[in-house]
Amino acid sequence: MERNRFYPKSFIPVLVIFLVLFVLGIIASFMFGARSLTLQEVIDGLMKHQGEIYETSVVQKRVVRTIFALCCGAALGIAGVLMQSVTRNPIADPSILGVNNGAALFVVCGMAFFQINTASQYIWFALAGAVLTAIFVFGIGSLGRGGATPLKLVLAGAATSAAFSSLVTAVMIPRSYVMDQFRFWQVGSVGAGTWDSLVLLLPFLLTGVLIAVITAPALNALALGEEMATGLGVKTSLLRLVAAFAGVILCGATTAVAGPIGFVGLLATHVMRMLLGPDLRYLIPMSALSGAVILTVSDVLGRLIGRPGELEVGVLTAFLGAPLLIILTMKAKVRSL
Amino acid sequence: MKSHTFQAKQLVAGYGDKKILDGISLQIPSNQISVIIGANGCGKSTLLKTLARIIKPLSGEILLDGQPIHSFPSKQLARVLGLLPQSPIVPEGITVADLVGRGRFPHQSLFGTWSKKDYEAVAEAMEIMDITALANRHVDELSGGQRQRVWIAMALAQQTDMLFLDEPTTYLDITFQIEILDLLTDLNRKYGTTIVMVLHDINLSARYADYVFALRQGKLVAEGKPSEVITSQLIKDVFGLDCMIVRAPVSGAPSVVPIGRHHAGETFVLEASR
Repeated sequence: MERNRFYPKSFIPVLVIFLVLFVLGIIASFMFGARSLTLQEVIDGLMKHQGEIYETSVVQKRVVRTIFALCCGAALGIAGVLMQSVTRNPIADPSILGVNNGAALFVVCGMAFFQINTASQYIWFALAGAVLTAIFVFGIGSLGRGGATPLKLVLAGAATSAAFSSLVTAVMIPRSYVMDQFRFWQVGSVGAGTWDSLVLLLPFLLTGVLIAVITAPALNALALGEEMATGLGVKTSLLRLVAAFAGVILCGATTAVAGPIGFVGLLATHVMRMLLGPDLRYLIPMSALSGAVILTVSDVLGRLIGRPGELEVGVLTAFLGAPLLIILTMKAKVRSL
Repeated sequence: MKSHTFQAKQLVAGYGDKKILDGISLQIPSNQISVIIGANGCGKSTLLKTLARIIKPLSGEILLDGQPIHSFPSKQLARVLGLLPQSPIVPEGITVADLVGRGRFPHQSLFGTWSKKDYEAVAEAMEIMDITALANRHVDELSGGQRQRVWIAMALAQQTDMLFLDEPTTYLDITFQIEILDLLTDLNRKYGTTIVMVLHDINLSARYADYVFALRQGKLVAEGKPSEVITSQLIKDVFGLDCMIVRAPVSGAPSVVPIGRHHAGETFVLEASR
C-alpha cells in the first residue's frame, strides 16, 4: 500500500497555491494603502531601519498591520473549523453564532459601566462575552426536537446577534465617550494592530492552535457520530468542551483586539473542505493558512476600495461570506445534517 | 485473538424513570458469534449499547476480564472492544481509505501520527473486506452493501478482540445481508474475533449465531445455542407470534415459519422440527 493514499489527493498543489497567495498577500499588504509604494520603496523601507524616511515609517506600520491580519485570520479560520466540528454543523462560524457581537456587547458594557479603556482590559471582557454568548446560542438552538440543527442554530445566532448589536447601540448612544472609544475599537479593525495588541493576542492564539492540533484526530472520530466516537475511545463530552473552548477563545481574543470580523471562519474552512476533503488533521492547519490569506487580502482590498480612507475589513469579509452562508444553509436543509 | 471474559451483572439501564433493561446478567461466550434477539422495543439495542459502553447503566456492572469496564482508560478499552453503531455518519467527501483509517484512532499517540503498523492494519482490513480497489473512492458514492463493508473494515482496522454490531444488515437487501453475515463469520472463524450483534431477522440469527440471547421487556428470557433455544414456545413468548419451527434445509438451523390468521388450518408438514 502506498503511503500517499492517505494524503488528500490535492494536498500538495493546494498547499503550494496558498503559500504563493500568502506571500503575494503579504507583499500587496506592504505595498498598497492610502499611499501606494513601489516594490523598491518597500524593500528600502524594510532595510533602512534608521532615519526619518517616510517610506520606513509607512512600511513598518504596514508590517505590524500585516502580521496582525495574518494572526487574526488564522485564529478565525481555526475557530471556524473547531466550531463546525464540535456542533457537527457546516455553518457554525463565530459571527453567525453571534459570538462576535456578544464579545462586542461585553466590551461596550465594560467601557460604559466599568470605565475600561485599554486593549488588555478589552480582551477579558470580550472573552467572557464570547464564552457566554456561545453557551447561550447553543442552548437556544438545542431547544425543541432534533437538537441543534443547522437551521435552528442560524436562527438563534442571527436573533442573538441582532439583539446584541442593538443593545450595543443602546448602551453606546447616551454616552458619547463610549461611542468614540467603541468606534475606534471597532472601526480600527486590523488597521489598529500594534505590537502590544499582537502580544496580547499571541498566548490565546497559541493555546487555541495547540488544542486544535491535539484534538484533530479525536474530532475526526467525532465526525463519524457520537456512538462511533465513543466506540473508538473518545470521551465525547470532554472533547466537545475542550474544542469549543479553544474555538471561543480564539474568536473572543481576535474580536477583543480587532473588533468583530465576520465570516472568515466560514470562508476559510469551506474553501479548504472543498479542496481537501474532511480530514481535520489537514483541514485545521490549512484553514489557518486560508484564513490568514483571506483576511490579509480583504484588508488590502479594503484599503484600495476605500481610498483615500479605508473600508473596514469586516465589511469585505461579510460581503464575500454572506452568499456562501446562503448556499450552505440551503444545502444543509436538504441534507438535514 | 485473545480470549476475554465479558460479563454483565444485574444491568439496569434506561432514560429517566423508564427502565429499558431490567436486571440483566449474562456472560458473552468468548471467540463466538452471539446474537441478541427480541421484539421491537424490548431493549436489545439498548443492551448492546450498554455493553459497548455507549449508554451508562443506572445500576449493575459490566466486567471485562473481571474488571469494571469504566476502570479502563477509554483508548485502551477501544483496543479490546469495537463497535459498529446502526447509523454512523459518513463525513461529506471522505474517501474509503480515510474512513477505514479512522479506526486506528485508539492505537495512535496524541497527534495521531501514523506508524507502519497503522498502514498495514488499514491495508489488511480493506483486503479482508475486499474494498482495496475502492480505496480512493468517495464513500458517499458507494452502494449500501459496499458502504457497510467499508464500515466493517473500519472496525477491523481497530483490531479489537471483540466486536459489537447494532443491526449490521438493516437497509440492505437479502444478498448483501448474507454477504455481510458471511464476512463476519469468516472473521470469527479465521481470527477468533468475539462477535456480538443485534439482528432483526430471526432466521438469519438462528443460522449465523453460535449463541443467542432472547430479550423480552428488558429481561433476558432465554439463552443458549439456537438449536436448543429457538422453539415455537419461545417465539410466542418473545414476539407474541404463533409459528412452527422447521429445520432449514441448507444449514439445519431452526427456522421460523409464522402461521398468521389466514393459513392456520393448512399445515403441509414437510420436515417438522424435532
